[in-house]
Amino acid sequence: MRVGAPMMDAEQAWADLQRIRVPQERVYDELERCTVTGRRGYLPIAAVMWLYLAVSGLDLPKWSLWATLAAYVGVLAAMGVRSSRKSRVRLHRSRYTWRVYAVFVVAAALGGASIGLSSWLVAWAEVPYGSLVQATICAGLFLLVTAPANRWAFAPMRHYGGRG
Amino acid sequence: MSTPTGFDELIHPSTRLSVVALLAATEWADFPFIRDSLSLSDSALSKQLHTLEEARYLEIQKEGGGRKRRTKVRLTDRGRTAFEGHVAALRAIVEGAAKGPSSGGGAPPSQAATPRAHTVGRGPASTRPTRTEARR
Repeated sequence: MRVGAPMMDAEQAWADLQRIRVPQERVYDELERCTVTGRRGYLPIAAVMWLYLAVSGLDLPKWSLWATLAAYVGVLAAMGVRSSRKSRVRLHRSRYTWRVYAVFVVAAALGGASIGLSSWLVAWAEVPYGSLVQATICAGLFLLVTAPANRWAFAPMRHYGGRG
Repeated sequence: MSTPTGFDELIHPSTRLSVVALLAATEWADFPFIRDSLSLSDSALSKQLHTLEEARYLEIQKEGGGRKRRTKVRLTDRGRTAFEGHVAALRAIVEGAAKGPSSGGGAPPSQAATPRAHTVGRGPASTRPTRTEARR
């Protein structure tokens, strides 16, 4: 909507362009605070993951394995909903960079690979309580990798947003 | 000096510009986050939000009830387009002044010709909305 044609000099226009960046910085600050800080935020997810992998490695009937999988997905979904309700802001889709999508794909591949490889290793070494070892390896790897990967994914957004 | 196309006087006032700029980076933001980020009072922010809502630049959604009541604010496509047009107009003013001789509007700041990403958030104090500006 063009309401009028006010006179505006370059100095003021420049100041306005700078003014635009300040609130957008607050959005990126909040995003970093919520998603990238530390490993504590990922502990509940790792705990649920550990529990699922430990239980699924037990010699249980097939229906209970499916029930465990359903419970695992349900708990993860509930955690996602809770996290979404707690968040104060959601970044606009146009601000996401290729790194975010890359992290999703690589995380899925790495997760699958770590489960498969640790399962093979445990079977090969004939380790007692194999599923517990496998669950510990996978959950540990998740905790080690997730925080730095998220930091890497979200780092360039601030500059990307600054251009837009 | 003529004003470039896209300059939007509705979002030109500093507080409204800050509100729209914040929302432009988000799918939605909740009311307390906007208020705290821009250091505004509830009433000052409400006033600006309703002005922008009347122009259909943003949508206000109220969710839940009682103590869990929550107000989410979302920039509409119309608001986003207006903001992008306004930013383009501001850039055109700065670039126009940097390229050619000033036509009475005053020379641009020395850094205007080379805006840099690392200046983000380190601008002069005047770039932050103040309580006085909030009343505009």
